[in-house]
Amino acid sequence: MKNYLKLVNFEISRFFKLYLILIGLTFVCQFIGAIIVSKGYMNRADQVMYENQLSVSQYIKEYGTFSFQQFVFSEWFVMPIFFCIAMLMIYVFFIWYRDWFGKNTFIYRLLMLPTERINIYFAKLTTIMLLVLGLIALQLLSISIEIQIANSIVPVDFRTHFPFFDEIYNLAIWGWLYPNTFIEFILIYGVGLIFVAVLFTAILFERSYGLKGIFFSIIYGLLSFGFFIVPLVLNGIYSNYFYTLEIFLMELVTSIIVLGSAIWIANYLLKHKIRV
Amino acid sequence: MIEVKNVNKKYGRKQVLKDLSFTAKKGEITCLIGINGVGKTTIMKAIMALTPINSGEILIDGEKIRKDSFEKITFIPDTIATLPQMRIDEAFTFMADFYKSWNPQRAEELLQFFKLDPTEKIANLSKGSTAKVNMLLGLALDVDYLLMDEPFSGIDMFSREQIAEVFTSHLIEERGVILTTHEISDIEHLIDKAVLIDNGEVLKEFSVEEVREREGKSVVDVMREVYRG
Repeated sequence: MKNYLKLVNFEISRFFKLYLILIGLTFVCQFIGAIIVSKGYMNRADQVMYENQLSVSQYIKEYGTFSFQQFVFSEWFVMPIFFCIAMLMIYVFFIWYRDWFGKNTFIYRLLMLPTERINIYFAKLTTIMLLVLGLIALQLLSISIEIQIANSIVPVDFRTHFPFFDEIYNLAIWGWLYPNTFIEFILIYGVGLIFVAVLFTAILFERSYGLKGIFFSIIYGLLSFGFFIVPLVLNGIYSNYFYTLEIFLMELVTSIIVLGSAIWIANYLLKHKIRV
Repeated sequence: MIEVKNVNKKYGRKQVLKDLSFTAKKGEITCLIGINGVGKTTIMKAIMALTPINSGEILIDGEKIRKDSFEKITFIPDTIATLPQMRIDEAFTFMADFYKSWNPQRAEELLQFFKLDPTEKIANLSKGSTAKVNMLLGLALDVDYLLMDEPFSGIDMFSREQIAEVFTSHLIEERGVILTTHEISDIEHLIDKAVLIDNGEVLKEFSVEEVREREGKSVVDVMREVYRG
């Protein structure tokens, strides 16, 4: 357990510089975006009002108010989020391959540590999950700052007053990143965890068997995915046959089996089949 | 004692280890000799469970390798086995964090012996110094067995001499060492036992001293007989 925590700490510190850069880029890009979108709205409003000799209320009647959503739907806001997601997806692979490739053959050390090798797997898995949750928490912080920015540029008369989360939830990706209830949170991030665990095990197949391993990885990935969606498929075929709770329980069981087998296989591969 | 018993290993269709057996005792320096690509490194990796074998058995003091074995045996590969972006002292901290057998006094002693600066970043070191750090990280563990892959290759003469000195010092005494080399002449006087390997097979396993006393032959003489005879 102690070794596992040390490894988590170590893995996080290895990505930390890049992580800070990622966070910095997201913040800068979104802050600039918040300024540009708000200023853009105000400039247009000023221009239109000047050219047509409109009052503020006339303008709003005709052209609408400024809502924060205009910013949230802009590429300034969404692009950095997708960029972060893409980077973390790449890191899911890189977190393993970096130990094998280049001048860096750190995998020798990792596999020779006097601890169960599966701890390396758990530590890397935990690291990915923590990095994801960290980004999401920071995004919440940056949004509240961005609202302040927008508010300081767009005078109150031009703004729609909106219940913050209602508006935000209109953006589909948002509902996924910030689930409404604890159950949803567990569901969404649980599925994420299983997804990363299966990918990790697939990577270990490749690392253990080489080219042949890629073939095994694909088969393994398909089997895991297939098994995972069995309850959903059943629900699709026999619609209205199962209670939601039954589907939920079935899904819970298959999830545990898929996750359990990913860990079991990874443990076996790390112990007996891994190659450096 | 490390016992390698009838080990077979294939890479695809190529058989890299063929029914390979030998033993290495504690307190002795055993040298695996053979040209490049005969499977010397593979044997070491197999002992450390860093590569699977198809059949056979490898025992360390009568036991198969498990997590606690890594406090008892260590492997110094021919590439640096720590993160190059670390400083030497950071690598020490890492080792101390994970290994009970890490011996900080010994590490300090070796640092002075090799004349290395602990605040130096490993990536910035010369090839010779990197090899020394790599060796240091293994030697500073209080383990019974040390495996070293080509500790003398690709480094300058003086580093080589320093590393050779380590072998005759108290740093190695009492421990069992297995090392590989493809040029024996430099270290012939250091080793106790030679295992000649070709194409993944053991051609001959002999005590250097015995052969010297009884037959008046050096390791190179025996090699000539075995490989060319």
